[in-house]
Amino acid sequence: MTKQTFLHDKHIELGAKMVDFAGWHMPVQYTSIIEEHKTVRESVGLFDVSHMGEVFVEGKDALPFLNKIVPQDISKLVDRKAVYCQMTNKQGGIVDDLIIYRLHLHKYLIIVNASRIDEDINWMVRNKLGFNVNIINESHNYSLLAVQGPKTINLMKKMGVKELPPFFSIKRGELVNVNLWISRTGYTGEDGVELLVKNEFVELLWDKILKAGKEFGIKPIGLGARDTLRLEAALPLYGNDLDEDTTPVEAGLGWSVPNNKVDDYNGKEIITHQISNKIDKRLIGLKMIDRGIARHGYEVFYKGEEIGHITSGGVSPVRGDNIALAYIKNLSEIKIGTQIQVKIREKLYNAEVEKRPFVAKRNKS
Amino acid sequence: MSEGMLCTKTHEYVLEQGGKYTIGLTDYAVEQLGDIVFVELPEVGATFTKNESFATVESVKAASEIYMPISGTIAEVNEDIISNPELLNEDPLGNAWLVKIDSNAEDIEYKDLLDYSDYKEEVQG
Repeated sequence: MTKQTFLHDKHIELGAKMVDFAGWHMPVQYTSIIEEHKTVRESVGLFDVSHMGEVFVEGKDALPFLNKIVPQDISKLVDRKAVYCQMTNKQGGIVDDLIIYRLHLHKYLIIVNASRIDEDINWMVRNKLGFNVNIINESHNYSLLAVQGPKTINLMKKMGVKELPPFFSIKRGELVNVNLWISRTGYTGEDGVELLVKNEFVELLWDKILKAGKEFGIKPIGLGARDTLRLEAALPLYGNDLDEDTTPVEAGLGWSVPNNKVDDYNGKEIITHQISNKIDKRLIGLKMIDRGIARHGYEVFYKGEEIGHITSGGVSPVRGDNIALAYIKNLSEIKIGTQIQVKIREKLYNAEVEKRPFVAKRNKS
Repeated sequence: MSEGMLCTKTHEYVLEQGGKYTIGLTDYAVEQLGDIVFVELPEVGATFTKNESFATVESVKAASEIYMPISGTIAEVNEDIISNPELLNEDPLGNAWLVKIDSNAEDIEYKDLLDYSDYKEEVQG
């Protein structure tokens, strides 16, 4: 059965077009994806992302346990700091990509993809043998809102949050007398916060944010714009750009894999080998030169030879052109600026390899 | 504007005007598609049979094939919507038509087409 967030009625009231996504009935757009996209880039937008999963890992061995299941070095985290990472299988393939927050030494919050909650929990449980930890799936108790865009700070100030946590940090806070977690994270490339709150308070919070945000031009934003925003920021989407057969290094996420981590982790041998040696495939960004839109699954060609496929692609509402992410054979002659082709409806269209992200990120503060 | 308009179950319309047949997408179709960002139309002179794909319309979310409501030969394509695909969201039944065709389609090709009002009832019902 399709699940609904606690804001489902709000979305219907706002006239959202609803779609099924990862087993959830979610708003894909309220008015227009392009308009919503620009709202987030120019002012501020409010997203219901309550479909995302929340898993707490706690216990004496929480740290060594997490260090076993992700390549990232969790021992570098201090209280209230977060890190982006991937949970890998024994072959180094990505089970899911996550944000791990250290609440304190023995308690961590993990935000996981809605489509992967069951796999994630299974994989964690399979790996907990010998570790003194509890893995608690709290996804059904929490709702998650994202407030994203350059006006976020002003809006939060207006609502009484005097100081936001630093980038990739979390703090306890209070908004409209509701206790919540405020995290300086997001999936848009813009500055913003994500608000983790118990389900029973989310409707009130949603209404108050929309009301307080009016003077900043706030709009509710659907999953359609969430996808175009993250594509411009070249942030990967699990299931499109990441899967169990792709390692973080191949996915261009090597920056999130330290090569000097002491602890053993799943897939370490393969991943560390890939860091210092040539890999077979790699992720690239590209922009279309010819008029055509590259989409998931389309083939990529170089000098008449098929070299890979598009994993995410579409329009860039801010740039006005068409952009994509693709996996290609790791040929050394393919560099930034190299011309390649994308096969769209049986015809080849010219494209050019481009540096990622496609739109400069503005969330480092 | 919708007077005489006949619609397919795949959301195209055809409208006869002075011997030429105008083909477009219904207002319901463009509303479902959302922001339209790309339109690919055939060459003038190309011939298509009923139900054959003759054009592609892409929204932000996806690419959609567009099918011929009746058989015919492309007489004119709407260049305006190639350069400004968003016009399709604004005026699909009017200025943002897709193609005009010459057609000698037999009556049988019209059997499964619905009057615009019946079509609207069906999609909204």
